[in-house]
Amino acid sequence: MTKALGSSRLSRRRFLTASASLGIGTIAAPYVARADDPTLRITGWGGKWGEIMKAEIGPAFENEFKCKLQIDSAFPYLPKLQASSRSAPIYDVMHTNSNEQWAAAEMGLVEPKIDPKLVPNLADVYPYAISDKIVGVSIFTSAIGLGMRTDKGYGSVSSWKELWDAKYNGVRGGYVIPVNSLGQAFLMMCGTLFGKGQLDLDAAYTALEKLKPIKIVDFTGAMEKMLLSGEVGLCVIHDSGIYRYDGQNQPTDFVAPSEGVLSLEQVLTITPGSKMKELANAYVNYMLRPDVQKRLAETVWYSPANRKVKLDAKYDAKLLTTPEKVSKLIQVDWKWYNERKDEIDQRVNRIFRA
Amino acid sequence: MGPSHSPSLVSDQEAALRLATAPMRAIAGRRCYGRYLYLAVNISILTFLLAPIAVVVVFALNPTPFIQFPPVGVSLRWFEKFFASRDFMHALGFSLEIALLTTVSATMLGASAALALARGNLPGTRLIVATMLSPLMLPAILTGLALFQTYVLLDVGRPTWGLVAGHTLVTLPYVVRTTLAVLHNFDTRLEEAAQNLGASPLRTFFEVTLPLIKPGVLAGAIFAFIVSFDQFPVSLFLVSPGNETLPVTLFNYLKFDLDGTIGAASVVSIVLAFLVVVGLDRTVGLRSYVKL
Amino acid sequence: MSASIEIAGVSKIYDGGVRAVDTVAMDIRQGEFFSLLGPSGCGKTTTLRMIAGFETPSAGAIRVDGADITHVPAHKRDMGMVFQNYALFPHRTVAENVAFGLRMRGLDKATIAAKVKAALAMVELSGLEERRPAQLSGGQQQRVALARAIVIAPRVLLCDEPLGALDKKLRQQMQFELKQLQKKLGLTLVFVTHDQEEALAMSDRIAVMNGGRVEQVGTPAEIYNQPMTRFVADFIGDTNIFRGERIAPSTGEAALDVGKGLILALPPSADMPGIGVLSVALRPERIRLSPRGEAADGAPGVTAHGVVENTNFLGGAVLYRIVLEGGHRVLVQQSNAGTDHLFVPGNGVTLDWTPADLVVLKD
Repeated sequence: MTKALGSSRLSRRRFLTASASLGIGTIAAPYVARADDPTLRITGWGGKWGEIMKAEIGPAFENEFKCKLQIDSAFPYLPKLQASSRSAPIYDVMHTNSNEQWAAAEMGLVEPKIDPKLVPNLADVYPYAISDKIVGVSIFTSAIGLGMRTDKGYGSVSSWKELWDAKYNGVRGGYVIPVNSLGQAFLMMCGTLFGKGQLDLDAAYTALEKLKPIKIVDFTGAMEKMLLSGEVGLCVIHDSGIYRYDGQNQPTDFVAPSEGVLSLEQVLTITPGSKMKELANAYVNYMLRPDVQKRLAETVWYSPANRKVKLDAKYDAKLLTTPEKVSKLIQVDWKWYNERKDEIDQRVNRIFRA
Repeated sequence: MGPSHSPSLVSDQEAALRLATAPMRAIAGRRCYGRYLYLAVNISILTFLLAPIAVVVVFALNPTPFIQFPPVGVSLRWFEKFFASRDFMHALGFSLEIALLTTVSATMLGASAALALARGNLPGTRLIVATMLSPLMLPAILTGLALFQTYVLLDVGRPTWGLVAGHTLVTLPYVVRTTLAVLHNFDTRLEEAAQNLGASPLRTFFEVTLPLIKPGVLAGAIFAFIVSFDQFPVSLFLVSPGNETLPVTLFNYLKFDLDGTIGAASVVSIVLAFLVVVGLDRTVGLRSYVKL
Repeated sequence: MSASIEIAGVSKIYDGGVRAVDTVAMDIRQGEFFSLLGPSGCGKTTTLRMIAGFETPSAGAIRVDGADITHVPAHKRDMGMVFQNYALFPHRTVAENVAFGLRMRGLDKATIAAKVKAALAMVELSGLEERRPAQLSGGQQQRVALARAIVIAPRVLLCDEPLGALDKKLRQQMQFELKQLQKKLGLTLVFVTHDQEEALAMSDRIAVMNGGRVEQVGTPAEIYNQPMTRFVADFIGDTNIFRGERIAPSTGEAALDVGKGLILALPPSADMPGIGVLSVALRPERIRLSPRGEAADGAPGVTAHGVVENTNFLGGAVLYRIVLEGGHRVLVQQSNAGTDHLFVPGNGVTLDWTPADLVVLKD
């Protein structure tokens, strides 16, 4: 709570107001919106992210822009957006993972690009955040790699391929690919590892077949718990899912394999029918602001997209905060994947049901 | 209604006594292996039904943030976390509020509808009953989505009354069913007897009809409360940001934090549901329902 | 206190045109035990329900002590009713059941308690006040229903087959008690039953109904001895019904040729219908039976010869089925005058009767 937003753009008075309201924290809503305030409707995660958004980041935005922020943290966002009218969408800004953003963009539910003129902070992001693999802008990313137990004497791990080692039979962890982004990204990685590249699905299927026996879960949170309980020894996981237990002396560690880590981007897009375009752009810009990025990154262990963010040493050491580290990120072609999702789902269901 | 079994006035009491003790003797006399098999099957079914609850309780009391067997200890930390969480407490309160409002609206609407259907001599009764029960056939998630789209079209947003309306829709069939069931066995001559004795139609309803259909209406009300309190698919689309019900909050929490808080929340839900049933039993008397 | 009821041309036509009750007219006198008797579906219960106000007549009027109550709602009619299955309130105790009508009349608690106590004493149920109906035997329930109906001192007591669910012995006892109670209280009582014995035993007067219409109204003796229609003759007790062509033999006395060589002398009667087909009834106990040959050949039209086909020993009497020479089968009932005087199947017998015992029936 003491790491309040020390941005130069915040006036001192506002800063004090914000700090004061943060002082009473979760007990009272820090900013009471007036009825005539414009409302910006966005989506957002629950968990730690949701907590800090509700307690600090959101209220500070409301204060600064004299508006009300309505955060829908109840899934599923895409069907709700789909069900609402295009001219009066239920959200102004959608925050979700990249694959879902691509699906939304294909249906014309979100604008494919963010205008750099309206979002000045876009100039400071790493290239991956606005690459051709991204709809809108990625404000954070996690790195998908391997999570392992350090207390089982497995030795050091450096390659993705070690997941196929027979010694992990019975303690190998993966995902229900049709419903989990990490599983989907991992499938693409398999093509790279054993075939001609990301798009080599046949090689990926063969590789998946060889991964059995494997424990598969649908929620990433469940994988974290299985690793913590020792039910799995080596698994596909994102760095934030390991680092968030930092300081708890858990016998787990994250491995960034030598072949590269997959990116799990947190993407913001604006809906075409939004009546709050100006506020929506302001929100995207706000979320890319170094102070906001730093606060969120250090709360949930996401790597910030803004190059100018300086994290505390502990976070800086582990997250992707330099161009060199960022260059290890492999982005998934979600557009390509979504077009084949039904076919892939059927195939992987066959593999893992057998 | 009245059993007519006594051979004569003199032996009335004796006959009644004989009737009361006969089944007991019959059971006691039938000592065979079939009885043990019957017991074994029942115990296994009960075990199967109660096992998930046991797992949830262990999960809730286990200090580790993951399910572990054997449990490493007993701790109330997850309950603490649950009760200390403003989100969970708000969701719990909101869920209770929705469940109570739903119970009231579903019970009043459902019982009145059942009465009208059973007594009203309406044309197309069967069709109306089928329509009223249709939310049971439809996947609740579609009901939720359809209502959500309707609200979007009507441009009313996602108000609390909209959520209550959605819950009422899916709980109404339970009340209609249970009330129709008691009305089906209802002897209308009881109402005629009351009128014959000087009770106006309104008085007849409150003195005779209502007390006699009460078990069915109450059973429906309990169903409505529990179904609403546990309702997830319909709520999923209809909750508004900042006003999420407990199941939706739990689901969202589950996506990021899978720890014993979920177990604690489940235990609290189970205890609450149990208390509601026991409370109703103690206050308005559910026991008569057993006779149905 | 008790009232008279006038049912004036009442009909009840249900949706679909079914005439449950068809222009029924009858006067029920004050303090009278009046039965509506007939087979199921004859309209007797519908008639009772119209008197009670549970059904509205499609035509006609119902008057109580001269006042038209056709459209007065049931709860304002001040009539007591005992239902077929008693219709006791299962959620209330015996005392509460009996007190119900008094409560509806707004009496104070002390009065209600006293009246309930008296009513239960009258039906000999004192001490069962706190029982629930389900804890009572059928006979006890019946008494509660009766107490509940009479405690309000109704202008009329309506009973819809109240004894139908009781076994025979208990039923007879209740018949006796109900009749006694009715006389003691001077109640006007309308009693619906399909049991002709019950009706004959209890009623001051009976209306026999069939197909929604009243066939005959009269005292039990009138109904039994002078049935006016073929239906009444057939429905009440055992009877021999003959149908034939009216002839006028040379003697001048009217007679009926019922075929197969049997001629019946008709009673001398002023309003005898003219030449044509008609039916007559002759009760089995009005025929005398003697061994064949002993009796002298009687006059034609009042005697016949036959053979005993079957006997039915009733205790005080014996019912014989006789095959007459021409082939007619006739029931004859004789009092039991001792074993030596009984006939057995195969005995030749001679039957004789008095023409005045023949009842001419309307079809």
